Amino acid sequence: MWTEKDVRMLEEHARQLRRDVVTMIHLAGDGHPGPALSVADLVTALYFKVMRVNPADPQWAARDRFILSKGHACPTLYAALARRGFFSPEVLPTLRRLGSILQGHPDMKKTPGIDSTSGSLGNGVSLGLGMVLAARVNQQEYFTYVITGDGEIQEGIVWEAAMAAVHYKAGRLIVFVDNNGQQSGGPVCQVSGLYPVLPKWQAFGWHCQEIDGHDLRAILAAVERAQAETDRPSCIMARTVKGKGIPFMEADNSWHKRVPTKDELDRALAILA
Amino acid sequence: MSGMRMESTRVAFLETLTELMESDPKTVVVFADSVKVFRATEAFLEKFAGRVFDVGIAEQNAVAMAAGLAAGDLTVFVATYAGFITMRACEQVRTFVGYPGLNVKFIGANAGIFGGEREGVTHQFFEDLAIMRSIPGVVVVVPADASEVRQATRAIAKVVGPAYLRIGSGRDPVVVEPPRLFELGRIRRLEDHGRDFVIFANGYLLQRSLEAAAHLASQGLRGRVVEVHTLRPLDVMGIAQVLAESPAAVSVEDHQINGAMGSAVAEVIAEHGQGRLVRLGLQDVFPESGDAFGLLDRYGLGVRDIVQAVEKVTGSVASAAGRH
Repeated sequence: MWTEKDVRMLEEHARQLRRDVVTMIHLAGDGHPGPALSVADLVTALYFKVMRVNPADPQWAARDRFILSKGHACPTLYAALARRGFFSPEVLPTLRRLGSILQGHPDMKKTPGIDSTSGSLGNGVSLGLGMVLAARVNQQEYFTYVITGDGEIQEGIVWEAAMAAVHYKAGRLIVFVDNNGQQSGGPVCQVSGLYPVLPKWQAFGWHCQEIDGHDLRAILAAVERAQAETDRPSCIMARTVKGKGIPFMEADNSWHKRVPTKDELDRALAILA
Repeated sequence: MSGMRMESTRVAFLETLTELMESDPKTVVVFADSVKVFRATEAFLEKFAGRVFDVGIAEQNAVAMAAGLAAGDLTVFVATYAGFITMRACEQVRTFVGYPGLNVKFIGANAGIFGGEREGVTHQFFEDLAIMRSIPGVVVVVPADASEVRQATRAIAKVVGPAYLRIGSGRDPVVVEPPRLFELGRIRRLEDHGRDFVIFANGYLLQRSLEAAAHLASQGLRGRVVEVHTLRPLDVMGIAQVLAESPAAVSVEDHQINGAMGSAVAEVIAEHGQGRLVRLGLQDVFPESGDAFGLLDRYGLGVRDIVQAVEKVTGSVASAAGRH
């Protein structure tokens, strides 16, 4: 359960993550702001309300797991881990630099709190299913959350995993599709015949919901419904906006991979103040 | 082939896996519609219910799922056809198992033309070792027969981290009898008639290499046969020492000529300055269907081919010595 106070707290965290993201990418001189901003509210809800984790013991065996399958959005995840206390926020400016614990895409061996290496697209649902099955073998009850992009689910392995997860009744697997409608090459609907998305997951036997992926109340409610499904995995299609929170980045796909200038950074930070 | 004792490498693996799963409740296995390939019985499936996962014909999912299982502190075996692990799911092996160094053991069946035999090229896998050898940190083992499969399976289970073990068709001759001790990462010196040459071999072809060496000894050319069953960690010093004693070398393997054991020996020669090598293997070609033994003969891996290669390399070493 959550309160309106929680929601206000989460909104402030999400703003902080967005400030961190644009700052990190500006300082790194490289990165993907658009996709990082579209998952900011989902990641905030998970790390600051939903997931049972212990920053003092990142490898705590009973913790909930998270896989950012669209690993290029990792500045948001790094910011969340830092603000949650897994490591110092002072590390954030080292993103993508030599010797940094913050790799260009998530690395489970280098960064405290990262549960899975990711970024090569399409693999998160499979990896998450493996973690759910490991919990079963180890008699643990944690949930595994995955965020996949929508363009990303063009990868065939996603559907191999979708099939297997239902077969194994992976009720503790909860997958968000970050449905921002854009991929590197342009609008998802123009690149491939992926749509409609949700009926495909439904056809595989998943519990399906569709929400506004920037509405924290909707995210929290959807997670509660998904957690209540014990015999089948859950797909939450989250309608999102690439670049969300910074109007000049929203719906401009050039921000898929683009570095904000100092002026653009200042404008973004003023908007997010 | 009459008189040749046969023992299935697939059964040997599954029996050893059974022992490992009996003794360790944190060991699990992932199949990709390969339960029957590995001769896993109903009794096996029942006994280890909850620890045996068959994802169907979906190798990429099998490997990524195995990575997720291993991230949960389990020892995970993935057992299916060699090429579908190393090629279909190559990126999952490299990025999600190799890169984080997770404890996943890959067991590749139908390896080589001997292992794939009548199935033809789609099911004969002779690139697997080059691929696995290029992924950092993966232990790579090529056992010669069932006894070695048992020993090697136990050995890779003891080492935390990714490993690849190559096995055959299930119609596998016993090569080393009586069985000899297998040490991961150490060459096995199997036959020593003299120092005129050395044959480096692995897999079933070890047997043909032993035959070739015996024949050559009877003709007065006395050499030794060294089994290089572990390609990573490679026994570099062991190989270099053998080459220092016997610089005329032939490598014999059931694999594409580039990137596997012969290449590894060539690298040792290049970096340690001793030896001259003729490499036998598939000479950059795609083979065809056929009976296992006939295929090896057809593609330049017969006893006579090995004998000729030894004669060639000993001749060239002798003439090089003569020039000095």
